[in-house]
Amino acid sequence: MHIPDGYLDLNIAGLFLVLTLLVLGYSIYRLRGEKLTSLFGVLSAAIFAAQMLNWPIPGGTSAHFVGGALAGILLGPYGGCLAMAIVLTIQTLVFNDGGITAWGANVWNMAIVDVFIGYYVYRALSGFNRNLAAFIAGWLGITVAAIFAGIEIGLSSSFAYGLAVTVPVMGTWHAALGIIEGTITAGVVSYIATRRAELLEKKEVGKASFVLLAALIALSPVFAYLAESVGYSEPLENAAKILGLEENPIYEGLLPDYSIPGLDPYAGTLISGAVGVLIVLALAYAVRYARSNRKNA
Amino acid sequence: MLHPTFKIFFLQDYPTKGTLHSIDPRVKLLSTLLFVILAVSTFEPKKLIFLLFSLIAISAILGLNLRRLFSRVWLFSLFSFVVVLPLLLQDPKYPFLFTLRVLIALISVQMLIMSSSFAEICSALRSLKVPEVFVQGLWLAYRYIIVVFQDIINILLARESRRVSKGSHMDLWKRGGESVGLFFLRSIERAERVQLAMASRGDKIFGARSKFGIMEIIYIALSLFIVLWCIVL
Repeated sequence: MHIPDGYLDLNIAGLFLVLTLLVLGYSIYRLRGEKLTSLFGVLSAAIFAAQMLNWPIPGGTSAHFVGGALAGILLGPYGGCLAMAIVLTIQTLVFNDGGITAWGANVWNMAIVDVFIGYYVYRALSGFNRNLAAFIAGWLGITVAAIFAGIEIGLSSSFAYGLAVTVPVMGTWHAALGIIEGTITAGVVSYIATRRAELLEKKEVGKASFVLLAALIALSPVFAYLAESVGYSEPLENAAKILGLEENPIYEGLLPDYSIPGLDPYAGTLISGAVGVLIVLALAYAVRYARSNRKNA
Repeated sequence: MLHPTFKIFFLQDYPTKGTLHSIDPRVKLLSTLLFVILAVSTFEPKKLIFLLFSLIAISAILGLNLRRLFSRVWLFSLFSFVVVLPLLLQDPKYPFLFTLRVLIALISVQMLIMSSSFAEICSALRSLKVPEVFVQGLWLAYRYIIVVFQDIINILLARESRRVSKGSHMDLWKRGGESVGLFFLRSIERAERVQLAMASRGDKIFGARSKFGIMEIIYIALSLFIVLWCIVL
């Protein structure tokens, strides 16, 4: 999933560098005063070593572990994000695995998206079943990170394949490989739970982190905007066009085709995206509120 | 015993040291960034070819082993070419130019990696005001990679020596999960011990860099010359 130099346009690489620096800067700020350097250092080395292990898959092939969700579960989202950023920086500067100009995008995908999604999914589900929560955290973290990688290279005009190719390829393959990531994450979490369960306790995370995650989701409309600017269209729409099929909707919806009638299409897409994000956040908040009320009762 | 490739990547004990090794890593780091940005910001053949030959010439003149340099970059360049090869019919030039960009970027980064130790790169990052906690984490992670590798190899060897039957994939995965769990647990405990040791003896781990000399000035001039030529071409 490491994007090399030459695959990303400089504006996309720059955008993700800025976003990454903001999140990493905030993570370092949140960890200020804590004597945790050795924990990041040694655990980063451990994640690096664990990534080198090849896990056999029936059929004669193998896959390797990435460890973003596990880093989040063990160190919390800020520490995990910093540890994974260290791993990725060493891979760039020692192995040339991942480009220097793509460093921001690679850290965004594997050290921010993977870690934060892995951590929050684990926290949300660990009350029901710890091992299942760790599996879903590992699987979802890596899959969403791969989709982000697909979006970044698909939006880059330097890489001639568009979003219609890059996103399904990255997303589908990693959704399958993510099963391995999830299984290893669950195995490690299960082992640690039996030996030192206190390491898996909830880490100190403030409300700001929720804002951070919301900001991550809120980026989707920006991608939509960029997708419009590079002329992206849905693969299904392309297929319909080739087959000469016409759209015949039963119900147009409140925001038909992610637009607002009478408004500039770009502005319409942005507003639709923002509305979607608000609806998802409201639903998530309602579920959380309902759960906390039930616990209090 | 460490594998020779492992030694080259991690210990960076090069058999010969050329002039490029003696240049300040801050200068090399920034010029690498400039070369990579130049490479990935154009598809113009003359600019890319000029950049490629300039970098090869600098590497050869300043004492890098070209055979070793190309042995580190050819595989990924070939992979990139194969990825974009299906587009050959749409635009015959695109796969070659795309691969050339990737190749130049890889050579630029390898020029830095092959001529600077990781301690020097960390020192350069620190001088360039990268946050201390991040640079120290990088340096510690790098130093402990060999130790933790040895740890995981020992765990796997111990498990293998206790195994009496081949077992199914499921058994292998179960044992593997336990092994990696144990490995992470040991790593966390090691980190706790290292933190205590650092607290008792102090945690300053880098020496200060000296000022720029004549070689640094020549290298900066050379890099700027290439950048300006690339822009005006």
